[in-house]
Amino acid sequence: MLPVPCFLVALISLSFGGAIGLMFLMLGCALPEYNKYWPLFVLFFYILSPIPYCISRRVVDDMDAASSACKELAIFLTTGIVVSAFGLPIIFARSTVIEWGACALVLTGNTIIYVTILGFFLVFGSNDEFSWQQW
Amino acid sequence: MSGFLDSIRCGECDCSVDWAEKRNTVASIAAGILFFTGWWIIIDAAVMYPSNTLFNHTYHVCGVIATVAFLMINAVSNGQVRGDSYSEGCMGQTGARIWLFIGFMLAFGSLIASMWILFGVFVVHRKCDTVYPGIAIFFQNAFIFFG
Repeated sequence: MLPVPCFLVALISLSFGGAIGLMFLMLGCALPEYNKYWPLFVLFFYILSPIPYCISRRVVDDMDAASSACKELAIFLTTGIVVSAFGLPIIFARSTVIEWGACALVLTGNTIIYVTILGFFLVFGSNDEFSWQQW
Repeated sequence: MSGFLDSIRCGECDCSVDWAEKRNTVASIAAGILFFTGWWIIIDAAVMYPSNTLFNHTYHVCGVIATVAFLMINAVSNGQVRGDSYSEGCMGQTGARIWLFIGFMLAFGSLIASMWILFGVFVVHRKCDTVYPGIAIFFQNAFIFFG
């Protein structure tokens, strides 16, 4: 009785979070005083960020030293992609390609989107073994 | 009573696995943050000073060698733990040790080269302030990740 509404609530709140994050990104690009579309490059990093973790989960199926090394490599690469998504707007703002206000909006949107993606993985990603324990 | 014992054992197993895995996960996250922050600092420096007079772009070699050393050190630490799967690449125990030695040599060499660049260039020019944090942070991550 309980897990299904939780599931739905989680899905709705994650989609809301994703929409808010993208809204911040779009505001950072499209507001008339900024009007520079360079920050859209962070979309590339958003799409790239779940990929190492997904690959490591598919390639590895047992829990020994090899699997944890692969998982650590995936976490390392994912952290790197997240840092790059934060670093790119800062570099754009420092070299005055975009304004600092747009940079702040994009970074806020970044944070929200990454929290959403993390939430997505925590709630839905590990539903092979985790949901057995939950249900 | 058997249920009581079962629950105690499950608690212990979860704690030990979580702690070891969490330590590895936290170390990977910290290493990732440091490594990529280092690279973004140097990218920032390269963007801020595009001319070759203020910031000689040959200095990027230092960071590239550091990255190679980082990858070498991390490649062999797993092989030493297992000892068998990497023997075709590293020729066994001795090969693994030589590889690790060369990796550390490159890492320390790039660290020393970065400090040399900092002091040599900083003393002469007083403009390339951003070179040092960038190159120094490359190596912090290599050692943290190895830890």
